[in-house]
Amino acid sequence: MTTANEPVNFFEQCADEIAIGSDVYNQALGFYYAEARMLDNLRYMDWVETLTQDIKYNVPLRQTRLVKDNEASIIYSMRHMHEDYRSLMGRALRLSGNSAWAEDPASRTKRFVSNVQVFETATPGEYAALSYLLITRNRFDDDHFDLIPCERRDILRLQDGVLKLAQRDIILDQVLLGTPNLAIFL
Amino acid sequence: MSANTERKLADGSTISDLIDLERREVQLRTLADREIYEIEQDKIFGKTWLLLGHESEIPDDGNFIQRFMGDDSVIVARHKGEVFVSLNVCPHRGMKITTQDAGSTSIHKCIYHGWAFRSNGEFLGSPVADQCMHGKIRGKDELGLQQARVTLYGGLIFATWNIDGPSFEDFLGDAKWYYDMLFCRSDGGMVVAGPPQRFVVRANWKAAGEQSAADGFHTLMLHRWLGEVGNYKKDDGESGDLTPEMFGAEVSSPHGHALRCIDLNRKIRRLTGKDPEELSVEEKLRVLPPPGMTADAFTQLKKNLSPEQLEAMAWMPPQVGGMFPNVLFGFVYIPQADGSVVGSMTLHAYVPKGPDKLEFINWIFVEKDTPPELREKMVMQTIQLFGTSGMVEQDDSDTWPHMTLTAKGPQGRHSTMKYQAIYETGKPEGWPGPGIVNEGFTKDDTQWHWWKYWHALMTAE
Repeated sequence: MTTANEPVNFFEQCADEIAIGSDVYNQALGFYYAEARMLDNLRYMDWVETLTQDIKYNVPLRQTRLVKDNEASIIYSMRHMHEDYRSLMGRALRLSGNSAWAEDPASRTKRFVSNVQVFETATPGEYAALSYLLITRNRFDDDHFDLIPCERRDILRLQDGVLKLAQRDIILDQVLLGTPNLAIFL
Repeated sequence: MSANTERKLADGSTISDLIDLERREVQLRTLADREIYEIEQDKIFGKTWLLLGHESEIPDDGNFIQRFMGDDSVIVARHKGEVFVSLNVCPHRGMKITTQDAGSTSIHKCIYHGWAFRSNGEFLGSPVADQCMHGKIRGKDELGLQQARVTLYGGLIFATWNIDGPSFEDFLGDAKWYYDMLFCRSDGGMVVAGPPQRFVVRANWKAAGEQSAADGFHTLMLHRWLGEVGNYKKDDGESGDLTPEMFGAEVSSPHGHALRCIDLNRKIRRLTGKDPEELSVEEKLRVLPPPGMTADAFTQLKKNLSPEQLEAMAWMPPQVGGMFPNVLFGFVYIPQADGSVVGSMTLHAYVPKGPDKLEFINWIFVEKDTPPELREKMVMQTIQLFGTSGMVEQDDSDTWPHMTLTAKGPQGRHSTMKYQAIYETGKPEGWPGPGIVNEGFTKDDTQWHWWKYWHALMTAE
């Protein structure tokens, strides 16, 4: 490979864990519930409002590797998504337009967020948040659901008293993705 | 081969019955039928050259990747500098030799009983040598991993099980002149940005395959968002017209390869404010270099391509198309909001996974010498437009499954796909390239030639 994998520095950023049930924790949990409701209800432009302008949003590839090479199972040199604010806005605009056939008719989705852990970081007002996400996606008459289980590694930033998403890395469980596209946000 | 000696399908019809050569129609049944799928595994995927990856994925000795040739898993490995493709099946009891997607090892040892093989597939031995687990009936030289025939082209790894069949050059035929312009134009060569994206689409591989043979028309409808809110919208924000992008020259091949050579004149006019007719080939290639290259790469182009190829490169370079049976290439020039152009270089393979499923493999390339800043822009743009989440191709991957579903209906299966938009033009005046070439607005000829070759292979002895 010609580019080194970007190091996953998420866990290095996690300082003290924030107590479950504390104000900040509840605020983070509220962020995720509100986000899931927006995305499951096709409110893409509202969702873009919850992002910081300098957001980094990544869906790295996965590979099946030996345990000794486990770090190489997450691939950043190629990704399923590699986004910034501009491109996420572009995607939201496309989905809000007239011809985004991949999501029109839209999938019926549910985003189940769980296992939320929130950590202080070295930057005041920025929190590292780890969570599990299970998306169920159903299209047309499909009698099956596309299941997209993943882990989110987020940086949430307080802006004017409101949490916004400043960074997201989505670690998929599937190497060979079982849904025909990522026309939906994870 | 005449239809009456052809192998019969279960309902008594033949492959030839499914294709109307006079009217250029193909029965939809071809996109869902298991019997046809199984014949394809032998007649198509057992016979033609198949794209497996790029040598930059396995730069060092011992590096390997796991890929598929039809339904067969293979190990693609580097051994003493050379690339070998071995069937990923242990000759002992049929276990997969490797279960990993990629790795590095000088010895592949089967985890079931421990038979061991070199990266070139040679059998090294079985455990407890003095007990001779592999017996004495077969010599060690008979117990290696089955080897496919391999060729490298522009660093791309192709393999075939057709050991004595046509050479790769014969397989490409006239189309090679055009592919050279994409894959063999730089001194350093192409490299992958990383391992390929992989995802499953519940559609027959041919729904994607026939489209890859340069289906221009679908862009106007399926991808019309590009004009409405995407890269082709007008500067004033009004909806842009995609039809000018449909003009150029289309190259067909008797072997089903297809290339859309799209006219760059409008882009060059926008970039320079000049009439492209007044610019030399060199001036045009410096203003609008091929994807992944910069103005100063002209000297490389001049060295690696013929003057005729340079002329086509500056005028109507191949931008999208395919290589039979299941490869799509997109080497495109994408307009940016600031008026500049950033290229994308991508190759897909549509690997069959049963009559109603395909695996979409997407490699993104850059040139080895692409400057880092351009490289990052290219890779990011390509991820955003093509492949898993690509805003262009997510519409394709949602469309093909419907075709495979309609192909299952008792009436729908006899419905036909029609390829009746026929060129009446011939080559553009002064066209420097070989092959079956037609000028003007996109038509169906390239896709029809794709089906004709499919038919020829499926009915071959």
